[in-house]
Amino acid sequence: MESRTDTDLIAQAKDQPAPLLWLLDAFHRRDDRLTPEAMRAIAQGLRMPLADLYGTVTFYHHLALGDEGRQQPRVCTGPVCRFHGAEQWMAEHPQAKAMACAGRCDAPVPVLEGDHTRVLAGSGLTPAPQGPLPAPNPGGLPECVFEHIREPDQNQLRGYAARGGFEALNRALDRGPGFVLDTLTDSGLTGRGGAGFPTGLKWRSVREAEGALKTIICNADEGEPGCFKDRAILEYDPYAVLEAMMLAAWVTGARLGFIYLRYEYPEILQLLTQALDDARNEGYLGPDNRMGTDFDIHIRRGAGAYVCGEEGSLLNSLEGRHPFPRNRPPYPVTHGYLQQPTVVNNVETLAAVPHILCHGAEWYRDLGRGELAGTKIISLSGDIQRPDNYEVPFGFPLSELLYDWAGGPATGRSIQAVSMAGLSGGFLGAGDLDVTLDEPSVRSRNSMLGAGGIIVFDDSRNMVDVAHNAMEFFAHESCGKCFPCRIGTQRLTERLAAVPDHPDQEGWHREVADIGQVMLNLSACGLGVAASFVSDTLLRNFPAQVGLEENEGD
Amino acid sequence: MGGTAGVIDIDGQTVEFQEGESVLAAALRQGVSIPNLCYDERLQAFGGCRVCAVVVEGARGFPAACTLQAEADMKISTQDPELVAMRRNLLAMVVSENGAENLEVDPLRGYTSQALRGWVEAEQVDTERFAGRRSGQSRMDDPNPFILRDYDLCISCYRCVRVCAEQEGDYAISVMNRGFDTRITVEFEGVLGDSACTFCGQCVQTCPTGALADKKALRFAAT
Repeated sequence: MESRTDTDLIAQAKDQPAPLLWLLDAFHRRDDRLTPEAMRAIAQGLRMPLADLYGTVTFYHHLALGDEGRQQPRVCTGPVCRFHGAEQWMAEHPQAKAMACAGRCDAPVPVLEGDHTRVLAGSGLTPAPQGPLPAPNPGGLPECVFEHIREPDQNQLRGYAARGGFEALNRALDRGPGFVLDTLTDSGLTGRGGAGFPTGLKWRSVREAEGALKTIICNADEGEPGCFKDRAILEYDPYAVLEAMMLAAWVTGARLGFIYLRYEYPEILQLLTQALDDARNEGYLGPDNRMGTDFDIHIRRGAGAYVCGEEGSLLNSLEGRHPFPRNRPPYPVTHGYLQQPTVVNNVETLAAVPHILCHGAEWYRDLGRGELAGTKIISLSGDIQRPDNYEVPFGFPLSELLYDWAGGPATGRSIQAVSMAGLSGGFLGAGDLDVTLDEPSVRSRNSMLGAGGIIVFDDSRNMVDVAHNAMEFFAHESCGKCFPCRIGTQRLTERLAAVPDHPDQEGWHREVADIGQVMLNLSACGLGVAASFVSDTLLRNFPAQVGLEENEGD
Repeated sequence: MGGTAGVIDIDGQTVEFQEGESVLAAALRQGVSIPNLCYDERLQAFGGCRVCAVVVEGARGFPAACTLQAEADMKISTQDPELVAMRRNLLAMVVSENGAENLEVDPLRGYTSQALRGWVEAEQVDTERFAGRRSGQSRMDDPNPFILRDYDLCISCYRCVRVCAEQEGDYAISVMNRGFDTRITVEFEGVLGDSACTFCGQCVQTCPTGALADKKALRFAAT
């Protein structure tokens, strides 16, 4: 592909859905950067305004425009990696560039160079094409998503099929769409990206919606700091996700499928490309497939924008538009990709579907504790002995996960705080470690479980510094559409850089609280809301560190 | 749009609306005031500034009136005390982007150049709060004789970008970067004369802060 001409690439792109992202990636690889000539050719080829294209290209932080190029090392400086030498390494290697959390918090610190990931080891770098495989369930509990993930050939089509792979699809073809929709609805499966919308209802809505072109999208833009579950699923059990997309397509009548994969997972891009080829060769995808349709799945690569995990931004990004979130309503189930009915599901949600259809709705429900249905993958990292992806029943005690499963903090240290929802739920203090892992329990402490990333901070960490780093992330990723988030994340980053000395503290507290209130209530999407949790939980749960009276919870 | 589809209540005033009309559009059409910055009745509702947030009786949250479809017998408040306080703080945040000293601009700059200043005064905003880094980056180097690009006053409402696309069909300007670093630009950060700009002046006349100004009109400015 490296020697392809502009004309070749543009002609190939025009035969495909969502051509812009494909084309940006193709030129970026061919030329090692996006040159002005390439942008002119793309704008002309896709008949889009050059000013729009230029503006949109600058939105994506991984697209290299200058001489540094695509191979310039990008070092993760996320909330975990910065405690594992990332910042020192950056200081010693001025040619490197910082990147937001790259989803390797269980084996820090990743350095991305072109299509290859290496990790810091001492003063050098070690190749690390694969991320860690989740360890066996420490509690010996039955699992859903991780049921077969540890089998060595589970990510090969033959291995997947040998362990009941495509059984769910066969059953569905045999028993009809109603079986799929009823089973999913009865199972209580909800969106695992954090929003928690019932999956069965989403699929049913798209099935019933009017529209000539229906689309299934797998949201694999895992950008939440402290979340690396989608990486593990796609790397070690990709066919479960593909089978679920086939099921969704067959049930809803969709002919088009996309996996929107974050830029930071180039090895998974390669693996998924192979998996899709194998699935096509075996007749699962493409023209005249086993479902009797021509449903196919295309991978589109993100280019370094956290907000593209928000489904409106993701849809705009796929369509080649500026990736601002969309106003809601209307929702994607009726007005998604190209304003047509669209299913957008998270990787983990999809990965659960084949297991549920094979084992039954009741089996899945019963995996949860009490009235809560099913399981959640928790990405656990930070100051903890065994960082990993853990599949837990909903309602599982956080303290049991932290101490019994993951070995607690390092000897001699104690847990001061844990983040929730990656960074999006802010920080719980030591007094809140009695929560259970489910939304009602976590929300009762003014936070949220969300996508299930939990970062542990022991008693050696300065929580104002931790919150400042988190707010810097949200400011860096704020898209610039809505005023509360665009201005608020900037102002809070400035405020959290340091707590002023005593006489000025009261005004500081009032400003931080007032900005947070505006962001929480007036932001246009979840990013601004999430950022408000960072400052709100800092004031609420760590009063001594921000100069407020010491009270319970710190 | 057809005839009247129903009525809503805004702060005790009865406002009729047409099928598919937003709360803000219906209100402004009938002279009922709701603060707003990124709205221009000729453009698609954008929902960016959030200054037009309202409270709907019986519903949660603070939806933006510009993207909120009017429904029969909706009861809307723009004077809910919590909302008023947040709106004031939001406007103070907007002022902090460019500083209070940049609020006062010559009316000759453009037709809607007094909009931000007007709302800041009407809502009694404390213009000294939330001070911090400035967001603007003026392009005084643009030598064109018509349009002043004084982005030190820009609040990133993108009315200029949207009017250029939606009304003129020129697509000469766009949004680059993201977050607090967003800028209004032409391709490769060049000047208007090298872009698709036709100097129609639509962007100048929709700018709510005077960041874009009519250079020829400014010859008659007081200072």
